[in-house]
Amino acid sequence: MTAFALAWRTARRYRARAVLAVAGVAVIGALNFDMLLLSRGLMLSFADLVNSTGYDIRISGGSGGPLSRQPIDNATPTMKEIGALPEIAAVAFMRTATAAAIRPTRPPEGLELIGSSDPAGLGIWKQVAGSTLDGAGGDVSLPPAVISRPMAERLNLTIGSTLGVRVRLAGELSAMPAVSLRVTGVADFPFESQNAFVVATTMEGFARAHGGVLNDQAEFMFARSRPSAGPDAAAAAIAKLRPDLRAFSNEQLVANFAKNAFAYFRQISVVLSTTTAAFSFLLVATLLTVSVNQRLGEVAALRALGIARRKIAATLLWESALLVGLGGLFALPLGQLLAMVLDRILRRMPGLPAGLHFFVFEPQSLVLHAAVLAATAVVAAIYPMWLAVKLPIAQTLRQETVS
Amino acid sequence: MRVLALIAVVAATLGAAPAGPPDILVSRQLLARAHLAIGDVVTLAGDSSGARARRFRVAGVYEPTPDPMKFNVERIEARLHLDDLLSLASDGTDPAWADAISVINVNLKNSSDPASATAFSRSLSARTPFIFAAPTRDQASTTFLVIDRFHTAIAVVTVIGSTAFLLALMVIRAEERKETVGVLRLIGISSRTIMTEVIVEGLLVAIAGAVVGVLIAAGAQHFVNLIFQARYDTTLVFMRVSRTIAMRSIVVAVPVGVVAGAVASWTLLRRGTSALVRR
Amino acid sequence: MTIVEAHALTRVFPMSAGPVSAVRDASLRVDRGDYVAIGGPSGCGKSTLLHLLGCVDTPTTGTVRFEGRDAGALTDSERGRIRLTRIGFVFQRFFLLPMLTAWENIELPQAEAGAPAAARRERTRALLEYVELSARADHLPSQLSGGEMQRVAVARALANRPALLLADEPTGELDEETGEHIAALFDRVHADGTAIVLVTHNAALAQRAKTRLVMRSGVLVTT
Repeated sequence: MTAFALAWRTARRYRARAVLAVAGVAVIGALNFDMLLLSRGLMLSFADLVNSTGYDIRISGGSGGPLSRQPIDNATPTMKEIGALPEIAAVAFMRTATAAAIRPTRPPEGLELIGSSDPAGLGIWKQVAGSTLDGAGGDVSLPPAVISRPMAERLNLTIGSTLGVRVRLAGELSAMPAVSLRVTGVADFPFESQNAFVVATTMEGFARAHGGVLNDQAEFMFARSRPSAGPDAAAAAIAKLRPDLRAFSNEQLVANFAKNAFAYFRQISVVLSTTTAAFSFLLVATLLTVSVNQRLGEVAALRALGIARRKIAATLLWESALLVGLGGLFALPLGQLLAMVLDRILRRMPGLPAGLHFFVFEPQSLVLHAAVLAATAVVAAIYPMWLAVKLPIAQTLRQETVS
Repeated sequence: MRVLALIAVVAATLGAAPAGPPDILVSRQLLARAHLAIGDVVTLAGDSSGARARRFRVAGVYEPTPDPMKFNVERIEARLHLDDLLSLASDGTDPAWADAISVINVNLKNSSDPASATAFSRSLSARTPFIFAAPTRDQASTTFLVIDRFHTAIAVVTVIGSTAFLLALMVIRAEERKETVGVLRLIGISSRTIMTEVIVEGLLVAIAGAVVGVLIAAGAQHFVNLIFQARYDTTLVFMRVSRTIAMRSIVVAVPVGVVAGAVASWTLLRRGTSALVRR
Repeated sequence: MTIVEAHALTRVFPMSAGPVSAVRDASLRVDRGDYVAIGGPSGCGKSTLLHLLGCVDTPTTGTVRFEGRDAGALTDSERGRIRLTRIGFVFQRFFLLPMLTAWENIELPQAEAGAPAAARRERTRALLEYVELSARADHLPSQLSGGEMQRVAVARALANRPALLLADEPTGELDEETGEHIAALFDRVHADGTAIVLVTHNAALAQRAKTRLVMRSGVLVTT
């Protein structure tokens, strides 16, 4: 009978404790797996979010980092200049303002107003109904607007509806009059928080909302490189053309995000995955040690019969591997479920982009999970194995007989 | 750029403006990073091109108030008189630049009552449509509520996992006592008496374990805070074992320990006496 | 032919209250076909002597030679190999593996010794017949009586055709009638050529041995 077979039979014989141990490892293993998902989840999610847009370069003004909102002056000629580069396929810029939806006999509802030079927003929003900003529908004398899904549902707005918007101007002593926009489409805005009220309009609509007086400034400028050039070459070309601007590829954006944003969750994932691994080790080691202590007579008899120490040690190692291995397998679906729950909790954080997730699966997590479990199984078995192979046979037989 | 209206604080801190460059305060981190000393004269500009550059004298150093939302950001900051800051920040195209700020912090007289902040915010927003007022408690507290729930979820999962292990250990312990229990049953001791003994024993062990656990956690918090405070160069407290948390831990641990022991013993006692004494 | 020869064995156990000499200057020779019973009061060192003879324990002074080899000069794994292939052990508390059936308990030492599967099957079947437990082959120890468990233990001890069978109070946990059956089984084992050394309080069992020795305070005397 092989050591594995002996270990399996032992687990079956002591079914209750084996089932409970596997359950314990499964639960703690699920948490450990989730912490592995969390460690790179935000970065992967942000990368997916950014790469799902229609741009692969972000341009900012001055000395700011890629995520800063350093304004770019003379946005329109700058956009044309950059757009003329052979490496660039498309360019667009955007501005935002805090505004309110004005409805008769209803209190105003706060919203984010986005002005975009590109009718499709260069992929910043995902159309779910109607058309982009160049669509027809409603009163064509009014500037078009694409609104967020929560806003459409909550304010009962449909394609063709007219929406009153008043911009709030910080530092100004007067309130702007409301302007009317016509709803041409409904979209998801994954970069805005869940349930956010967002209205995207053309730069003309944005200027009209500001009373027609608006400086030619961009808050964000995005570009799409030509496939033949690639984002790095395109970013280099922009930097050469305009040394006063900074161009970042999506990859650099993601790297910057990974370094600076939500560092707390990376740290907590390291702390918790270390703690859960240590926890699993302690628990499995304790269980096995107590189990060996309970079976000392058996072990001594086997040694007296001539069963090699190697085999006894291997049996205990397999016992550990069975508990941890089975528990680790069950940990995967449990971990996925737990990740969904934890993700739902964390995504309620205010201001978090709706398209961002904390727990993202990648094959590397599975490999790490398996490695952690394997190490746990081996290390947890060390002391019980040592106990079993080192026990004094004669003394143990005597003690077991007397007790 | 957000401008905090600190006139009263800054003026009180810096005292009367001397002749020469205006005074500023710098954060400890900036002092160290730029190798500055008190009394040094530095040049601050509105942007990296050096626009609107002006000279200032480092009058003092301050420790930035620990901010959980910025704990991973190196606090490279300086505090200026408001008018100095406005002159640096504004590009002058806004005719109201000397009078334009983006945020005003208001400290109410009855600041201990959260309802008063909400009422004041609503009243102000209604009376001044171009002003958006909100209690500072709201945004910060929502974030921490989320983090609190996240940690609680993790704690719940950990307790469930460790309960499974505890039950496994208790089952082994009960097995060890199989013969003893069998002999007791054989001589006429009732299951109820045996269970009572088990429960009392479990209660004592669970209380002792819970107290030891709390003491270990209290010791560990010191190291956790040391590590994170050193890592992020902050005085923020990351972990604190409060009385409520200690009581909550004991309230969870004790019944779990007692129930685990009782369940394990019940699995033994439900067998027949002969099965217990038989080897 | 001498199977095991012990010369001037002493075994001292260091205790907190002072060292205890469990065996003092014991010498014994067991030849092929011998049947030796060692009796004596509890705590006189009988089991310790048995452990020394069976290469389970090492003497403080003195030598044990097993089939001409000095057991003290062997490595632990060499001694283990001797225990596996040349010695069979029967314990007072049986020490069967509770998760294995009677069949599997008997097969285990054969597998460890490297016997091929077919040979193991044949030998295990034969041994179960020998101890009259063929019908209980698939039963776990918890499903066997004390006497049946001891018979399985004897079969396990004989699995690798040992030259010497060592039994430590083999009837200690059994009633008189069952003990009688075990004693008869030992007679058969001896008659089939296996040398036996057993430690017992059971006078009736001891009577069946060819040589009866007594230990008193660690000293072996011949009756």
